[in-house]
Amino acid sequence: MRRRWGSVGAHTFLIAASIAMAGPFLWELLTSFKSLTESTRIPPTWLPHQWHAANYHSVFGTVPFTDMAVNSVINTLARTAAQLLFCSMAAFAFARLRFPGRGALFAVFLSILLVPSQLLIIPQYQIMQNLHLLNTRTALFLPGMFSAFGTFLLRQFFLALPTELEEAARLDGAGPLRIYWSVMLPLARPGLIALGILTTIWSWNDLLWPLVVNTDPHKMPLSAGLASLQGQFMTDYPVLMAGSLMATVPVIAAFVILQRRVIEGIALTGTKG
Amino acid sequence: MGIRTVAAAAASLALVVSMAACSSGKGSAGGKVSLSYGVWDATQVPAMQKIITAFEAQNPDISVTVQQTPWADYWTKLQAAATGGAAPDVFWMNGPNFQLYASNNVIKPLTDLHQDTSVYPASLVKLYQYQGVQYGLPKDFDTVGLWYNKALFDAAGVAYPTGAWTWADFQAAAKKLTDPAKGVYGVGATLEGQENFYDTIFQAGGYVVSPDGKKSGYADPNTIAGLKFWTDLIAAKASPSLKQMTDTAPLNMFESGKLAMFWGGSWDAKAFATNDGTKTGISVAPLPTGAKKATVIHGLANVVSAHTAHTAQAEKFVQFLGSQQAAQIEADTGTVIPAYNGTQQEWVKAYPQYQLNVFLDQLPDAVPLPVSRDTAAWNTLEANLLTKAWDGSEPVGTVAAELATQMNAALAKEGS
Amino acid sequence: MTLAGAKASALAPAPAGRAARVSRKRRRSEAPWAAFFLAPTALGLAVFYLWPVVQTFYYSFTTWGPFGGHTFSGLSNYRQLAHDPELRSAFVNTAWYCLLGLAGVPVALVLAAVLARPGRRGVGFYRAVLFLPVVTMPVAVAVVWRWLYAGDFGLINTLLAKVGIHGPYWISDPHTALIAVAAVGMWSSVGYTMVILMAGLQSIPRQYYEAAQIDGAGPVRQFFALTLPLLSPSLFFVTVLSVIGTLQTFDLVYVLIGQTNPALPQTQSVVYLFYQEAFVNNNRGYAAAIAFLLLAVTVALTGLQFRLQKRWVHYA
Repeated sequence: MRRRWGSVGAHTFLIAASIAMAGPFLWELLTSFKSLTESTRIPPTWLPHQWHAANYHSVFGTVPFTDMAVNSVINTLARTAAQLLFCSMAAFAFARLRFPGRGALFAVFLSILLVPSQLLIIPQYQIMQNLHLLNTRTALFLPGMFSAFGTFLLRQFFLALPTELEEAARLDGAGPLRIYWSVMLPLARPGLIALGILTTIWSWNDLLWPLVVNTDPHKMPLSAGLASLQGQFMTDYPVLMAGSLMATVPVIAAFVILQRRVIEGIALTGTKG
Repeated sequence: MGIRTVAAAAASLALVVSMAACSSGKGSAGGKVSLSYGVWDATQVPAMQKIITAFEAQNPDISVTVQQTPWADYWTKLQAAATGGAAPDVFWMNGPNFQLYASNNVIKPLTDLHQDTSVYPASLVKLYQYQGVQYGLPKDFDTVGLWYNKALFDAAGVAYPTGAWTWADFQAAAKKLTDPAKGVYGVGATLEGQENFYDTIFQAGGYVVSPDGKKSGYADPNTIAGLKFWTDLIAAKASPSLKQMTDTAPLNMFESGKLAMFWGGSWDAKAFATNDGTKTGISVAPLPTGAKKATVIHGLANVVSAHTAHTAQAEKFVQFLGSQQAAQIEADTGTVIPAYNGTQQEWVKAYPQYQLNVFLDQLPDAVPLPVSRDTAAWNTLEANLLTKAWDGSEPVGTVAAELATQMNAALAKEGS
Repeated sequence: MTLAGAKASALAPAPAGRAARVSRKRRRSEAPWAAFFLAPTALGLAVFYLWPVVQTFYYSFTTWGPFGGHTFSGLSNYRQLAHDPELRSAFVNTAWYCLLGLAGVPVALVLAAVLARPGRRGVGFYRAVLFLPVVTMPVAVAVVWRWLYAGDFGLINTLLAKVGIHGPYWISDPHTALIAVAAVGMWSSVGYTMVILMAGLQSIPRQYYEAAQIDGAGPVRQFFALTLPLLSPSLFFVTVLSVIGTLQTFDLVYVLIGQTNPALPQTQSVVYLFYQEAFVNNNRGYAAAIAFLLLAVTVALTGLQFRLQKRWVHYA
């Protein structure tokens, strides 16, 4: 009996927490279909009196939303793809190859981890300027293609892998390239997925760098575009809700579909370390 | 899967990088020169597109794309882009920022154009001269008027504002129009110079910066009276508090029928005409009279970036933007009051429901927007310090005195 | 946030290296391969991360013009740094974000404990809903919360009014704005912390609890004697992550508060001030000095946490 009541209590608590987490999204959705006048009614209406799609038109009418979405996709794909490839390569070298100066180089990588990259944007901006890359899509993802963190994460995975398969491949005459590609990568799949998820979320959501490096709205990703939409509509919340919803729906949809895998991947980054 | 993940990653990386590389090509494609045109007002973009279409028809070898950045970020982004050599080829300029850009050689002198500037109001032409050289061609001008919501006036039984209103009439009406239960206020005391406190400062007989640009006017009792006009309205709760106005911008409150009156520019007409809440049922009157009549006048100009790769084409475009044809489009579409002499009445006719002639009728009393060599420096001081007076934490007099001291220091720096 | 978290994981002790039975010959023959595998990341990091650290340090001794161009100005930026009340309050605000951010850890722990209980139904659903804010763009989160917090028309005050409370203007009132911002930070990160802690809880063998029960330990005793010590590596991980993440608070202040908010002095973070100085006021030299100061603080705090970890973290 006590156990049953305990369970009821737990579920009440969990449902309350879920409402706190999901409620804002629901309110966002409802507001996005209200007119500005209706949104400022006292007391407020719950469901829109009249479902009003004009806010969505306003978003498309004032910011190049489609361009921004494409920029976000390119930025996210490029960073994620590059990190999966480059970080796994570097991680493989650190975990499995012997070379002089490995410890020292590893220490350098480690020190980069300590530096919040946000604080480096002034020189990074200068580099983009010197490369004539300001206001280009390339500028969005170029520095984010390289990651000390990704290298570390995958190195941890590689180190934990058994060496038997590798030794066998080596006896068969396989070189480092074959071992990396055909032996290590297939085994490191959970690690690659975890890194891919983290990089995807982080790239899609990044604000400061795109804000600084691309001032042309046609070259901005959705995060910077949304900030600029707020500059435009100030406190016209129904339009802002429509914009936020559209900017977040792709990632939320992907999350809902891949939910189990994403959460397992994230959990892995915590236990693996 | 692991290997496929990375293989797919490698492939999509190659694809994405090549896509990005293609798209980042800037400038001339297929012998056609493409220019970028930086603007801040989204409401004006359709008219700008129309002008561009007309320009491209005459110049088939040039294409122009509009880069619209909201006002809130425009100057930050423009300065960053100009610093990095990535500013748009042609962009909008205003009085407060003009001298900073001209003195730092970020914009090009337009001497090669040999444009006849007598077709624009002389004061606007002069606003965009630096050391006697013309850097910008006037695009439009604007004055400030008193927009009001007829339904809220009718509901409160207050007669619509007229040009005969004094400050006292205005204040009394604002109080009467306020209905806290409905969340309705008489007016919004936006912490904004051009549309609000500069106008009242001039109406009170005060000044913001001395004519020689060396001395702040904030220590002047008349100037302080102009500020007090607004803080009194907030204290009387005839205006929402600064906190409320941070939550909901007065413009949005007016659009949603929560403000009976709104001091706004002539440029607001088009936005109001397209907004559901203000399409009908609003009109505009002259600003009330303090010690005297006054409204702030200002105008924008089009300028050419010093870093443009296509000077000749950019100058051609600026010249077209300053032409009668472009002015006509601005007027016919009801976008803004064009600077080109003789086209202004067309703008008034675009919205018969609003009596826009109010904005032109106020011209004899118009006072130019105060500017100096580095206006932004003391605009920031105004915003930061006046906050304390607007939220009631410090008396207006104290804040104004401190503002005068700091602004004088900033002005002294300009000379050096 | 996620990146920062990962940093923490990378800093945790690595599994012991394999016995190095490698001949000198192999070491030499593999060097070119290592160069090949390392080249992209090593070059990229050198150009975009290492060199900028050096550059930032150099810039912190320069003064910039309104449209670029800089001159060496010695220690003047650091002198200004020492007497800048705005910077001081930005550091104080950031410290509060850090502390309030850490307050999210116990909340996440309770959620994780309730969810990780064996036989709990609907775990997948709850976990997904609670995790949803983590994948949502911070800009969008901030925009939505700005609307929820609105004083006159916002949902929060509407609900409070139903129980007779007149809510404040949350984000423009200097007294409540900082807490309001921190609460959104907590809202969007609690799911992440919870998932990590759940994984930690689930890795504790159930036999331990059974044994404790036989010894007569009640739930409270079990929690303090068993759960906490065994969970300490995960707790350490989420704390380090939370501190690094909140030290970099920017997006929320930029969108939720913004430049014209009267509560900005009471809410602006160091990174926000850094952005303002670097890209709004164009004082990039001074901004570089701020960056360097925050860098030093971050390194010191992370170092301190690792030092303290020996006192309370138990690695099995």
